[in-house]
Amino acid sequence: MKNIIKISWRNLLRYTRRTLLTSSLIAVGVALVIIFGGIGASFKDEVIGTITNSNLGDIQIHKKGYVGSMDNLPLDIVIPEQGLNKIKSLLDANPEVKVYSERIRFGAMISNFVQTTSMRLTAVYPEKESNTCPALTERIKEGNSDPKTFVQPGSIVIPANIAAGMNLKIGDDAVLVATNKDGSVNGVTFKISGISENILGPQGKDGYIHIDDAVSLLRIENGEITEIAVKLNDFDKLKKVYSRLKGELAQIPGENSGKPAFEVHSWEELSPFSSIVKIVTLLIMVVRLVLVSIVLISILNVMMMSVYERIGEIGTIASIGTPPSKILALFLTEGLLLGFFSALAGIIFGTGLLMIVAAAKLNFVFGMMKLSLSPQIPTAEIILSLIIVVVISALASLQPALKASKMEPVEALRHV
Amino acid sequence: MSLLSLANVRKDYLAGDVTVQALKGINLTVEKGKFISFVGPSGSGKTTLLNLVGCLDKPTEGTVTVAGVEVNRMDRKTSAKFRGDNIGFIFQNFNLIPVLTVYENVEYPLIMVQDIALKSRKQRIDDMLDRVGMADQRNKYPSQLSGGQKQRVAIARALVMDPKLVLADEPTANLDHDTAYKVIGLMHQMKKEFNTSFIFATHDQKIVGEAEIVYTMEDGLITKVQANGTAGGGVK
Ligand SMILES: Nc1ncnc2c1ncn2[C@@H]1O[C@H](COP(=O)(O)OP(=O)(O)OP(=O)(O)O)[C@@H](O)[C@H]1O
Ligand SMILES: [Mg+2]
Repeated sequence: MKNIIKISWRNLLRYTRRTLLTSSLIAVGVALVIIFGGIGASFKDEVIGTITNSNLGDIQIHKKGYVGSMDNLPLDIVIPEQGLNKIKSLLDANPEVKVYSERIRFGAMISNFVQTTSMRLTAVYPEKESNTCPALTERIKEGNSDPKTFVQPGSIVIPANIAAGMNLKIGDDAVLVATNKDGSVNGVTFKISGISENILGPQGKDGYIHIDDAVSLLRIENGEITEIAVKLNDFDKLKKVYSRLKGELAQIPGENSGKPAFEVHSWEELSPFSSIVKIVTLLIMVVRLVLVSIVLISILNVMMMSVYERIGEIGTIASIGTPPSKILALFLTEGLLLGFFSALAGIIFGTGLLMIVAAAKLNFVFGMMKLSLSPQIPTAEIILSLIIVVVISALASLQPALKASKMEPVEALRHV
Repeated sequence: MSLLSLANVRKDYLAGDVTVQALKGINLTVEKGKFISFVGPSGSGKTTLLNLVGCLDKPTEGTVTVAGVEVNRMDRKTSAKFRGDNIGFIFQNFNLIPVLTVYENVEYPLIMVQDIALKSRKQRIDDMLDRVGMADQRNKYPSQLSGGQKQRVAIARALVMDPKLVLADEPTANLDHDTAYKVIGLMHQMKKEFNTSFIFATHDQKIVGEAEIVYTMEDGLITKVQANGTAGGGVK
């Protein structure tokens, strides 16, 4: 084996220019996969982190039908207290669930006694909410941004666009007027305790109050809520936990119908930005495919040339008794070595470039998200590309190597 | 038991629509330890015959027996092994492996064909290089050698496997006259030292004199067999 490697290696070095050319082509391909994979993964993580940590959570649970009419923030499609308790015990029993936050979401009019505008409100328990969405309080740029107390009974966090538009400052009073599910209207005065950056989404006018205030404003008597946001211990287990929850929730039937009473959605189903993440994933796949075709074509080409140029030599070694299996091994090894070392070069090159990108700390704004790319060394991507190159190199050398091993010595010798 | 016997061997080539009868019925027996030459005009069938004897090709008809084994029906793998165990080859174009040094070229069949362990390998190669007078060139690559030197290395490569029979098709055709004599002389000397049979094909009437038995071929048939009493060998 050592000798087969020695001979193959020297044969590679024999056509230095061709080997270097092929090798750099493959190396560039591998480097591209690593750079693209690394940056893409960091971009995905940033986008997902921004979305899930600032207001969505990883998973949300609603009464069946809520998400379908989510735009109206309906107050009649709610999780009743009894159901809430069942869900809570499910979540408490699930080891993958880190925390969850009960929410009442509704639309309201906010007035500074001169002007009135509409806004969307999420009523929460401050500590539970900021544990579920750790990035939320980072967005509160003025006022109280303490994760434990950012909303208190009587206080409200409003987005910057409403603060600017209605000239509201920290400590000012504002009145929230809301219609409850029976159609009666109620108003309560709040103190502005915080002003947040505009939250993601087309409307962007999202504020926070304490859940107790929502109960009195909306005259909720029986402890019902509209939404539960869930955060997991390990985001990578999202799919597993999601399907487990889905299965468990399906066991809880509605009161009148026999159908499941609740629905569960992952962040991907709730955020329009999830498609961007899918596109990035797809692009990484495309770059990998490009690598596969680069390796396939270039190794096949080089190895076919090698076999063709060395027909006489193949005739010689076959005549003196080299078994066909060893001739096959010689050419396979040659292709494998070429692929392997090209991939190594590409890994070094690509990782180096990626580290430069990481050191440069690329910051940019994407939509309303402030993203900071700090790509990690994508170990999985590196291993994957090495495997891709080696496997494809073997496949690409197989046909030329088989051809070499099947040559008739007499005919090969005549070729000299 | 004779080393080699051919019984009624015919070989046809199909070249397009025409069948070329390269060998038209060869009967031949060769004993061990002989230095044999085939001569004859171009196209008379020398190469064809050597290919059959060397298990590189199969006869259209008749049987070829080498070292007691009928070789005409072997598959590729078996015949490769048979060649590796029994037959050495020397080529007109030397056919050394360009990426290997002199030493490594001689080592090649011991590794790739016969799987000989490193220790015994080294001694055999050193000894062989000494005998063909190439010990001081051991680390050179074939491209750095003259034609005569290359053929010496090729002889060493053929003999290092300790074959029963060495086949050489026009081994001196690419060498000048003096070198050709020296190479044939070396082959003859090796034949004596190893008690191996050598069969070489040539056009060159002058070096034919070195052979113990000369077969003359014409048009696919052996037309004359001649034993040379003068089989002295050595350098002239
Ligand atoms: N592969 C082949 N296909 C068709 N015809 C062939 C083939 N090989 C040899 N021949 C024919 O067989 C005959 C014998 O050829 P061979 O090569 O054995 O002659 P030779 O005595 O070795 O000639 P030379 O001295 O020129 O080498 C010739 O007529 C040749 O044209
Ligand atoms: Mg010939």
